[in-house]
Amino acid sequence: MKAQFWGVRGYVPTPGAAFLRYGGNTCCVSLHGAGGELVVLDSGTGFCELGATLMAGDFRDGRGELTMLITHTYWDHFLGLPFPGIVHVPGNHLRIYGPDSARGSLEMIYDNMLAPVYSPVFGLAHIAATHSFHPVPTEPFQVGQLTVRGMPLSRRAHSPIWAYRVEEAGRALVYITDARYTDDAIWREAVRFARDAEVLIHSAPYLRGEAVRDDGHSRVEDAIELALEAKVRRLYLYHHAPTRTDDDLDALVARCRGELAAGGQRLDLDAAREGEAVKV
Amino acid sequence: MFARIWGTRGSYPVARADVLRYGGNTTCVEVRAENRCIILDAGTGMRMLGEALMREPGAPRQLDLLITHTHWDHIIGFPFFAPIYAAGWRLNIYGLSRTQASLRATIASALGDPLFPVGLEDLRAEVHVHEIHVGSAFELGPVRVRTAQANHPYRALAYRLESDAETLVFVPDTGPFHTLLFGDERIEWTGAPGAGNGAETRALAEMRARVIELAQGADWLLYDAQFTDEEYARFPHWGHGTASQAREIAEAAGARELLLFHHDPRRSDAELDAIVAAQRAAARPGLAVSAAAEGRLLSKGGPQ
Repeated sequence: MKAQFWGVRGYVPTPGAAFLRYGGNTCCVSLHGAGGELVVLDSGTGFCELGATLMAGDFRDGRGELTMLITHTYWDHFLGLPFPGIVHVPGNHLRIYGPDSARGSLEMIYDNMLAPVYSPVFGLAHIAATHSFHPVPTEPFQVGQLTVRGMPLSRRAHSPIWAYRVEEAGRALVYITDARYTDDAIWREAVRFARDAEVLIHSAPYLRGEAVRDDGHSRVEDAIELALEAKVRRLYLYHHAPTRTDDDLDALVARCRGELAAGGQRLDLDAAREGEAVKV
Repeated sequence: MFARIWGTRGSYPVARADVLRYGGNTTCVEVRAENRCIILDAGTGMRMLGEALMREPGAPRQLDLLITHTHWDHIIGFPFFAPIYAAGWRLNIYGLSRTQASLRATIASALGDPLFPVGLEDLRAEVHVHEIHVGSAFELGPVRVRTAQANHPYRALAYRLESDAETLVFVPDTGPFHTLLFGDERIEWTGAPGAGNGAETRALAEMRARVIELAQGADWLLYDAQFTDEEYARFPHWGHGTASQAREIAEAAGARELLLFHHDPRRSDAELDAIVAAQRAAARPGLAVSAAAEGRLLSKGGPQ
């Protein structure tokens, strides 16, 4: 399985020279299985860049298929979905898994996002590619040879958040974003969910000491502690704050690696970088 | 009056290396006159404007936001605009009145769960929402504001901002005046422009005339030029225009400078350079042509 980052930024895209190395697009990661499976984690603006590259193959000819795993429907994870040309080619098929909200099903949320007042598309009915929407199954399910598990991270009725674990031949990638470990139970569940993963991608926009107006995200230290406790091999800090320049992220990585080394920990840590491909 | 461009991109923000000069943020323009700060659209460029205002000693604490329409690329900067979370700021939001939903409800549903975690009631700034109409005219301090209708799906406004010495006209989203796009029903893209019945033809001619009138003698005309002529013939245009159509409007209005605006997200700086060169070569004498670039100051050289 090959993972590739298409958008690593949280909250809002950050165009500009200071953000080019790590990238300014919002959340999106692709997973390519050995059997040709294509799974996409979240559809922030990174999905627009992924979509542009996919326009060269089957998706250009209306024979493309992908499975999308949506963690939640906030803009930085979902708003890129209607833009790439591939969703406007008849014949392409997007199988979209994600949480329903008390305000409506995932399909209704998307249809509302495309309502005339917000989008010239005028509603989901006018998107040419076939979209099927599915609540995340509580049991593991297959996408070709890939096994996918979902875990509810937050059950807030209006905006639930899920995490995903994708395995191929016993090697797992775990994707956790916008987590907030408010109690021991959710922490223990997350540790179990991430157990022995080759790769953990975890939102980590801020450090504990930083004074920011954000109570929706766990901190960098939480991501590291989770990775250590779950015995993850490699951790990617993800969902970078829009204020973090490339130099800031270099410094953050150096600091985290320094602390891990000083503590005698063997965790491989990096900051997710747009365009980087990772063999899982 | 002077202006600064904070976002030029259409559809969605882009963060690539090949868009650094013209910029990747979506539409936002700041206009200053005396102690007024008027903001045109709330695309992602608004975030940088907010940071600049928070840093500026003595920045105006009363802001006016004029929204052309509420498509995503024109509103997604709003929750990242720092002054709305600070006490002591007052923001008046102006936008098109619709029968289907209030402007306040439209903004609130975009910002709230399950799409985003911001409630208008959580903001610390004082926020007032004002619904206006096609043809509305009002004054914001020394700036006279007028609106006209652009040819964009589900209707959008175009704005003229005029002080005693300068005029800026903002038409970020409009298709050409070939096919009506402003209805409540979606109009299918037919592959080639063509007017429908006589009433539609007259309505289009009227809309075009009003836009030209709005842009009359503008010092700066910021105008939708998302597509090339060749792309326009091949793809659904979603209610956007081309650089040559923008130039024709600028020429008809006698504008001083045309700034091509609402750049396609896939368009590189080098491609925009070529588009500008072609339009400059075609432009009538006296019309300057450029592509709107993030960070550019529009000023006739007065005190700032």
